[in-house]
Amino acid sequence: MIDPGQASALELPAPAIEGGSRRPAQSYWNESWERLRANRIGVFCGALILVLALIAIAAPVFSQFVTHFDPARQHLSDNFRSPGHPYLLGTDELGRDTLTRLIYGGRVTLGVAFLTVALSLTLGTTVGLVAGYYGGWPDDILMRVVDVFLAIPAIFLFILMSILFRPNAITLAAIIASVGWGGVARLVRGEVLSVKQRDFILATRSIGARDLRLIFRHLLPNVLPVLIVAASLGVGQIILIEAALDFLGLGIQPPTASWGNMLTNAESYFFHSGWLVVFPGVTIFVTVLASNLFGNAVRDAFDPRLKTH
Amino acid sequence: MAQPLLEVHDLHTVFATKNGDVKAVDGVSLELNPGETLGIVGESGSGKSVTALSVMRLQRPGKIVGGSVIYKGRDLTKATEGEMREIRGQDIAMIFQDPMTSLNPVFRTGWQVAEPVRLHHGLDRAKAMAVAVSMLGRVGIPTPETRARDYPHQFSGGMRQRAMIAMGLTTTPKVLIADEPTTALDVTIQAQILDLLRHVNRDFGTATILITHNLGVVAGMCERVMVMYAGRVVESGPTVDVFAHPKHPYTWSLLRSIPRLDAERHEPLKPIDGLPPDLIDLPSGCAFHPRCQFKVERCSRDTPVLNRVGETQLAACWVTQSGAELKGA
Amino acid sequence: MPEAVQAQLKRAWTASSPLVTVRGLKTWFPVTSGVLQRTVAHVRAVDGVDLDIKKGETVGLVGESGCGKSTLGRTIIRLLDPTAGTIEYMGEDITHQRGERMRAHRRDMAMIFQDPYASLDPRQTVGDIVGEPLDIHRIAKGKERQDRIYELLRVVGMNPQFADRYPHEFSGGQRQRIGIARALAVGPSFIVCDEPISALDVSIQAQIINLLENLQAKFDLTYLFIAHDLSVVKHIANRVAVMYLGKIVEIAPGGQLYRRPRHPYTGSLLSAIPIPDPLIERNRERVILQGDVASPIDPPSGCRFRTRCPRARPDCAESEPPLETFGDEHLAACFHPLD
Repeated sequence: MIDPGQASALELPAPAIEGGSRRPAQSYWNESWERLRANRIGVFCGALILVLALIAIAAPVFSQFVTHFDPARQHLSDNFRSPGHPYLLGTDELGRDTLTRLIYGGRVTLGVAFLTVALSLTLGTTVGLVAGYYGGWPDDILMRVVDVFLAIPAIFLFILMSILFRPNAITLAAIIASVGWGGVARLVRGEVLSVKQRDFILATRSIGARDLRLIFRHLLPNVLPVLIVAASLGVGQIILIEAALDFLGLGIQPPTASWGNMLTNAESYFFHSGWLVVFPGVTIFVTVLASNLFGNAVRDAFDPRLKTH
Repeated sequence: MAQPLLEVHDLHTVFATKNGDVKAVDGVSLELNPGETLGIVGESGSGKSVTALSVMRLQRPGKIVGGSVIYKGRDLTKATEGEMREIRGQDIAMIFQDPMTSLNPVFRTGWQVAEPVRLHHGLDRAKAMAVAVSMLGRVGIPTPETRARDYPHQFSGGMRQRAMIAMGLTTTPKVLIADEPTTALDVTIQAQILDLLRHVNRDFGTATILITHNLGVVAGMCERVMVMYAGRVVESGPTVDVFAHPKHPYTWSLLRSIPRLDAERHEPLKPIDGLPPDLIDLPSGCAFHPRCQFKVERCSRDTPVLNRVGETQLAACWVTQSGAELKGA
Repeated sequence: MPEAVQAQLKRAWTASSPLVTVRGLKTWFPVTSGVLQRTVAHVRAVDGVDLDIKKGETVGLVGESGCGKSTLGRTIIRLLDPTAGTIEYMGEDITHQRGERMRAHRRDMAMIFQDPYASLDPRQTVGDIVGEPLDIHRIAKGKERQDRIYELLRVVGMNPQFADRYPHEFSGGQRQRIGIARALAVGPSFIVCDEPISALDVSIQAQIINLLENLQAKFDLTYLFIAHDLSVVKHIANRVAVMYLGKIVEIAPGGQLYRRPRHPYTGSLLSAIPIPDPLIERNRERVILQGDVASPIDPPSGCRFRTRCPRARPDCAESEPPLETFGDEHLAACFHPLD
């Protein structure tokens, strides 16, 4: 046992006590965060997504105070109106206000997207951590399961699911996640395998740490950056998938508005009421572009491979 | 004495980082004479590798911001990229520390060794390969004809380094720069490679710049040695003299801090106190003064200049330049 | 209760017996091939090692890459599972111990790693890194924990104010000090130092060597010091063991090994080491070995060193030379030793 009294009698090499950088303490998280903040495009896109999400969450407030319309309310006499007053973005074939439907549709689309990401990250990370850390039989079995899920043709699954039951937002998220979690699991497992080799894991084991401690306190924080990057890049992709499914009629069904199924209706009326296609289309485009650009910015900020010592 | 083959005058190379400019090479001058072996000794951050890379104009992303490199009457810092390409591999060859990564894993070794002669002497494939095979044999690789067809991963570390040396020699360059060529190798393999370099220097007459942090290697290989610290040259001279009576406190302390194979056991080591300097924020005056046990007041104010101390040595130290002897407890 | 058992065993074990006893230790790694991952061969990293380490001494372990010295160190401290043989620590057989019993031993055994850049978790503060052993073994909490962490940092020559900082803000030598502080946290008796200074600058190496020696004197530590640099090992070790391809080929007290090596490998190793003195270097007799180190998957028959040995004779291929005594605690495994 180290006796504090005994220890202070040591002759210490004095100048070695000072040193270390004079700059303030900075964890890897702080540095990554600062890098992200310095990337103006990334910040702008991130803010944009945040604003869209907030609008979507506050949809009823918007519909009450800004547009004054209910998304399901039909004004048959007012159908196919061009953008103007009082229908800021026009109306569809049933006289429903496009802007209000876009806002409510955002709720659905963004909600499904974020929920999907959350589900596939949780499941994928857990499986990847266990498989990567333990190796051997658990790894083999889990990875074969992942292989099976990755091999399922997604369209086939979607069509099957939508025939079996009418998807609502939650089940749709679960369906899309079921196809995507395998990729996350593989990614996490790969990262775990690489971090596991590093000496500090061995060092922590040498002081007597149990498996759970190693996994949660040491492996997970070092794997997190890769996850954050994957999540940010994945959101855009999932928004597109979700919109596509709705468009094809395999996802959220009318009359619930979603950006995708707004396009379905608008398809037939493209030639005389083009804005019915333009607005949902542009919204999807802008959202996906913003989330991809934000994802790139996150990757540049958090990817440890870019770090120089 | 013959005209020096390579001269470097007051070279400055800087790397821009988000925290400031790193002055990797901060006013370095050297001379390399035909046929001699010059050692550049220093620890990490001393600027020895960057100096060599700057000579070859391979210092990117760093920038040469001052000084000149004179080779065959031309200033290489002002040469065009095309002119540099002519010189690299043909007049001045370089071998690197890590033979694992300096050879391309997807090409056969013989093909890579033959590349310089194909490029610079315009030989066709068959003739170039013949040159490569013969050189592989001369550097001590057994059955070179078959080995030339192997890929780098099929060679051991020592063999790969031999192949790199072969590649450097095929064009019979005037200057060979070896940047820590044996640091990544086992000590018995290191002995083989150093022996090979000695033979190369003798048989080919190639002037060699040997960069290393190992004072023992320098002692055995180099006629002259240059000691670098924090991007500057602190001492230079004939190896025998520098080791026998070092004229800079850094060299002096370093020699005393190394455990020696031929030492009697067991005097405690005398380490150099403190830490290597931050190259962005160098100490004022002499970069070594915070760690120096001989420092005087002037050392923290004025940056010392390299000047003659003793008969054959140059040292950048106010204390020794004023005649004081380095002696210690 | 493991504590009680441990106490009992400690009483049985006396200070004159070796702290660590290793007999016939082998650590083999399987080499798999094919879709079904069948084991086709083994890397025989450690292939039959006997070693005693006495309390308070420093045993140096040297050899080149592939000789198995790191593997031996890690197996002794049970970070790797031995394939065969036994390891005894303070008289207790720890060869196959697991779980809580092994964890109790981990308080007494520690390791310092080679790479100061990889051996510290980049996402933990220095204080947390040094304090983690205290947390794992539930030794101290709150202010007491903080005090111990500060004391540990002081002991290794680091300013305790640095406890809030992150490893990447420090130099290699300072990180190594942090690693040493972590190793000392719960007061071990035995420390395996796995090339602790190889990755450091020359001017810092001496600082760390002195630190290790000071700590050994103050805390009565026992070291297994693994290195490839014979000059350093000569300075710090009482006895030095030379390994080649998984076996110890020679072991002797420090000065003896260097004055009068018996095994040809030791001789060539010694002659290969550069000495920082130009006059000595120019006039040295060098024994330069031919070829490369053989593979630990398929070592040569008989004496493993015979393929590179300048003194090899036909009988060297027939059987493996056993370790023979050549004087006071000096053993070497060679049929035709150096004079």
